[in-house]
Amino acid sequence: MSTVLSARELTRHYTVSQGFLKPQAVVKALNGISFDLSAGKTLAVVGESGCGKSTLARALTLIEEPTAGALVLDGVDVASGSKSDIKAMRSKVQMVFQNPYASLNPRQKIGAQLSEPLLINTNMTAAEREARVKEMMSIVGLRPEHYYRYPHMFSGGQRQRIAIARAMMLKPKIVVADEPTSALDVSIQAQVLNLFMDLQQELGTAYVFVSHNLSVVEHVADDVMVMYLGRAVEVGSKQALYATPLHPYTKALLSATPSIHPEDRKIKIKIHGELPSPLNPPSGCAFHKRCPFAETRCSAEEPLLREVGGHQVACHRAEEIN
Amino acid sequence: MSLLEIKNLSVQFGSKDKPFNAVEGLDLSVAAGEIVGIVGESGSGKSVTMMAMMGLLEGQGRIVADTLRFDGKDLLTISARERRKIVGKDIAMIFQDPMTSLNPSYTVGYQIMEVLKVHQGLRGAALKARALELMEMVEIPAAASRLDAYPHQLSGGMSQRVVIAMAIACKPKLLIADEPTTALDVTIQAQIMELLVSLQQSQNMALIMITHDLAVIAEVAHRVAVMYAGQVAELGQVPGIFRTPVHPYTEALLASIPEHSQGAARLNTLPGIVPGQYDRPSGCLLSPRCPYVAERCRSERPGLTAIENSVVRCHFPLLAKEAAL
Repeated sequence: MSTVLSARELTRHYTVSQGFLKPQAVVKALNGISFDLSAGKTLAVVGESGCGKSTLARALTLIEEPTAGALVLDGVDVASGSKSDIKAMRSKVQMVFQNPYASLNPRQKIGAQLSEPLLINTNMTAAEREARVKEMMSIVGLRPEHYYRYPHMFSGGQRQRIAIARAMMLKPKIVVADEPTSALDVSIQAQVLNLFMDLQQELGTAYVFVSHNLSVVEHVADDVMVMYLGRAVEVGSKQALYATPLHPYTKALLSATPSIHPEDRKIKIKIHGELPSPLNPPSGCAFHKRCPFAETRCSAEEPLLREVGGHQVACHRAEEIN
Repeated sequence: MSLLEIKNLSVQFGSKDKPFNAVEGLDLSVAAGEIVGIVGESGSGKSVTMMAMMGLLEGQGRIVADTLRFDGKDLLTISARERRKIVGKDIAMIFQDPMTSLNPSYTVGYQIMEVLKVHQGLRGAALKARALELMEMVEIPAAASRLDAYPHQLSGGMSQRVVIAMAIACKPKLLIADEPTTALDVTIQAQIMELLVSLQQSQNMALIMITHDLAVIAEVAHRVAVMYAGQVAELGQVPGIFRTPVHPYTEALLASIPEHSQGAARLNTLPGIVPGQYDRPSGCLLSPRCPYVAERCRSERPGLTAIENSVVRCHFPLLAKEAAL
């Protein structure tokens, strides 16, 4: 399987002002994330708010430049690349945002919004662009007359279809989707997820799918990365990760996700407290204050990702507690 | 006798000659100490039903009902003054977004104490002690110091705990939670749900849980009403309704949840969207989207029929279909 995108120790730090005459603090929103994405596959990134999953999505699309690390696309490190490298990369990596009410320009007709990627990146004539846009609209399930309408005339699900069509216009190799269905109702969510799956089959696009919803992730992903406070705590194939989660945080997430058949749930672990402030993360393992298995070593030494039982996990006690 | 009894409730918006029924012919009863879920997609009328019941739609919607009775009092004919004695005291409500349901200009302690002052007339040290007790009941760590905190100093989960403390301050007989965990992360959601259920049991409250998430209902509720376009499509027992749904809409909702797909590449979906104000069909409201639609469904609106443990609004409920085969 060919790798289309690899991230190595991708890092994004923000400096925050603490107030007049006080030293600036550093928020490590993304703290050394590495992964390889294969063509036509889906990597899902899960975690709670504040874990850095959206920052990762923004770093992958270079909406925000990573402060350190490498992002290799087709053999070129675009994180430290030249302007022309980055311009070439933009048409290969596209993004779908969470809120379709905010991600479409309310003053532009759908046709114009969908043609814009073609206008900027190709030499097509106006007629060719229109034909291409209408073809893409029919693929995502929009009718030709929608070409002349404004975003406010569409429902949330239709808007998300438009946003997906826009991301797909240049047939990118990679689409980064940041919580694409969390603003939608379940029946509409199902339609949009189906659309994602169909497009992947048809066009062979690789997805980085950011979500907080583990049951959505279980449906769409090939590989899953669980993040906590800017770091990956567990990475593995979907089957391995859902069948035998090794990190206590992954287990807690799985057991906290509501289920239609709660009596069938196998893992039951409860965690207390909330995500610590990223301004002042705990020493050692970032999860140790909420972890039911924490021991002294966990508060002193930061665990690194290592191979345990077929997937990678960042926990000192992964073997003992499983 | 049930604590809350709603019979044939309709809520109309818009002008008299072109009314729009946001809620239509809704029947629901809730017994003391019971957890009832109301589930449905956006625009299905689940929140409007509860707002109408609490009289929070004043001047906007027209509320018509055969019966709207809470704890022996008729909420349709009650005066505004009488209603104020019930709402906030015997019926309390928790809203979806804890960040916007607290007043940012006052400390959370002040806001909890305000409820106690108005409804229970507490003053001075007793007032403060009760507020502290409530903060401890909702498991806010370092409660004493948090009394003086402003909402912006608390996280979403903590704010929701404060909102719950305010809601249970007067030991309500009925607590209505409108999407109480939608804005929260899953681990926090699990904590809040556990808190709500344990409070419900210790205080013997009835709890109405409004949500779009079927799984949340499956975890806690005793009964569930599935709403579609302002009507109750199916009202049944948990977990039975999740194993053998009787209404095609319930079946479709369950099938569209990723959890149910179990590795299938595509999810089963209903085509189209919930009909809005201008495109409600004349027959069964689900008829344009229903996979089992028949001629009769397009012309005639179905009434509620009782089947086994459920009440269903469908001409051709699923169980009867199987029996006929």
